[in-house]
Amino acid sequence: MPRRRLLTASAAALPLVLATAGCHSADLFAGPDPLGGRPPLAPGTVVLEAVIAAETRLISRYKSVMSGTSTAPSGHQASVLESLLAQHEQHLAQLRSMLVVPPGAQASESPSATASPSPAASSPARAAGPGSVAQLRAAERESAATLVRQLRDVEPALAQLFASIAASDATHATVLAAL
Amino acid sequence: MTGTPVPPVSALQRTLAAEHAAIYGYGVVGAHLSGSAKTTAAQYWTGHRQTRDTLTAMITARGVSPVAALAYYDLPFPVTSTDAATALAAHLEDGVTAAYLGVVAVEDPRLRTFGALGMQAAAERAVYWRGTTLAFPGWPGTATLG
Repeated sequence: MPRRRLLTASAAALPLVLATAGCHSADLFAGPDPLGGRPPLAPGTVVLEAVIAAETRLISRYKSVMSGTSTAPSGHQASVLESLLAQHEQHLAQLRSMLVVPPGAQASESPSATASPSPAASSPARAAGPGSVAQLRAAERESAATLVRQLRDVEPALAQLFASIAASDATHATVLAAL
Repeated sequence: MTGTPVPPVSALQRTLAAEHAAIYGYGVVGAHLSGSAKTTAAQYWTGHRQTRDTLTAMITARGVSPVAALAYYDLPFPVTSTDAATALAAHLEDGVTAAYLGVVAVEDPRLRTFGALGMQAAAERAVYWRGTTLAFPGWPGTATLG
């Protein structure tokens, strides 16, 4: 039997061996039970996933507005939207760089449903479909407000990142109001 | 960014010091502006004075003496024109934004919210003067974290 298959078979058989011997895996390890299933994600990780999902939706919304067939912006407006979109892509990259999912843990399938405040996810400003600059402005405002709520209970470094992105989003809303 | 919570009084004192600097700086800014820009500078100056008073009260309530304003502040560059005054105003607001970022690193959720909202207000004022937005307001020296 090739070595890799042998190791796989041994790992799969371990619970059976332990059960036969009358042992629980917890008896053998001081830490978390390695056979007890995937560890839950830390609360901060769940919130971070929700923020990443919201940022991704906001980027999609920008792209939708910018590629609108009948109302696509042009000139100065297009230039401003491109600049703001680029900053959102920077936000997303930085948020993703903060996401560390421990081995064995599974990213939540629906972060916005599990992490606290995501009213924005279902609000008109975040709804799917073609949008307008006014809707982008509303989405930016909502994003800033939601991030301020989400930063209350995460670790300091993550709270600071959320606060900085919230401040950026607030300024985006102001700039969009002037278009 | 910080990985451990920051003591609240330290963060508030740094923010108060930034507000003192902004109040002084806006005096210089206003002297080189006219029209609506001068009016806006005056409004922002008043806002910074109000926030200074709020921070002073918050620090005093914690049994600590608030940091005092300096008699004089070194300007980051000579201010002899409207453009330089506008750049100084943006610089001052960037400094205030960065100071509030420190407040966000404390453990108290209410103070974090206070810091985050302070950042937003300062970042918006900076955009008024600079005319452009930043991806990461409050971070030192650059618009990006990379």
